[in-house]
Amino acid sequence: MKLIVAGFALLIFWSSNVSAQWARYPDNSIPRTRDGKADLAAKAPKARDGKPDLSGLWQPEPDPAGLPKGVPIVESIHETFAIPRFFIDVTAETKPAEGLLQPAAGATFLQNLQSGGKNDPGAHCKPTGVPAIANLPIPFKIIQTEKLVIILYEEGSVFRQVFLDSRKTVQDPQPRWMGYSTGKWEGDILVIESSGFTEKSWLDRLGHTHSEAMRITERYRRTDVGHLEYEVTINDPKTFTRPVKYTQKASLVPDEDLLEYFCTENEKDTQHYR
Amino acid sequence: MKVLAEILLFSFLVVLASAPARAHHAFAAEFDADKPVKLSGTVTRVEWENPHAWFYIDVKDSSGRVENWGLEMGSPNILIRAGWGRNTLKLGDAVTVEASRAKSGANIANAKVVILASTGQKLFAGSSQGKP
Repeated sequence: MKLIVAGFALLIFWSSNVSAQWARYPDNSIPRTRDGKADLAAKAPKARDGKPDLSGLWQPEPDPAGLPKGVPIVESIHETFAIPRFFIDVTAETKPAEGLLQPAAGATFLQNLQSGGKNDPGAHCKPTGVPAIANLPIPFKIIQTEKLVIILYEEGSVFRQVFLDSRKTVQDPQPRWMGYSTGKWEGDILVIESSGFTEKSWLDRLGHTHSEAMRITERYRRTDVGHLEYEVTINDPKTFTRPVKYTQKASLVPDEDLLEYFCTENEKDTQHYR
Repeated sequence: MKVLAEILLFSFLVVLASAPARAHHAFAAEFDADKPVKLSGTVTRVEWENPHAWFYIDVKDSSGRVENWGLEMGSPNILIRAGWGRNTLKLGDAVTVEASRAKSGANIANAKVVILASTGQKLFAGSSQGKP
């Protein structure tokens, strides 16, 4: 109860303050209800080419189950948006868990768990890669054109380009944190195929890693104006004995924009790690 | 091996709840959520920058000796969306802070709640600590 009160207090505080920021600017392309609020339940918009328009600022939704079992509730802003479970554990819904990791990958995972977060690339200001970057409770912006979809992520101020011009998968790529992506429409679903990833990135906070052979398929669907869901399938036989699969949801953040975020701007933590 | 993994997993999840929502940083490697500290002092410096906002306060102990403490908050981005601005804390402001101490024993801590003495306004510091 205390938590809910704190959440509402924050919301009120938030809504009374953000109007002072340039980041908040009314978006005329969003349908409105009579009281001027964004009509988030309205039908998903179409782009000029007739495809669903995924453009907008999207915030990955918190874990519907709340915080993982056993975690103490803290009165803080984070309890108003529990971190999506797949950012914590990308394999959370890939059952059964037994035998999912190849032996070498299992050993690496255990080492990473034991490091208490110190091995995490993010703890050293390295980028958050794909797909973890879309599982953080931090917004990303989709800009859709007919032949190119651009995804701008606030985390790390990084981007992805998804080419819809029928080009083939990249051969012998220089490994990237964000990979190389091509896309195509299957009905109302944008299917993005990505490969060419550096093996330096982690798939989640617990420390699941992957090889350079990893391929990711994402299926994005805008269910209405206010909601986006993406089904993610990770194929990496060198790491996982079976594909890892999950669906993450995101909500539209109307009338707001991305902020800048450079982790190295004033990094002071690594010097204090014990 | 499986049992060890489960124990580690559980303890990590507890720690994780204390981690800021950003990928940065390794909270448990730096701060101890079991070492809460409550500090009252005046603001001497504010660094409103990513990945974490920091502010510094002069704290007077019972013998009158003044020590400067560094306090880490969440990222400015998270704080902005929670209603903070870069001028919310000003030099000379009197504040009370609830925080978790650094494992190193240095005068730094991860702030949980900041209370402005002038207004009594309670501000969440953008990184929860793992303890209620």
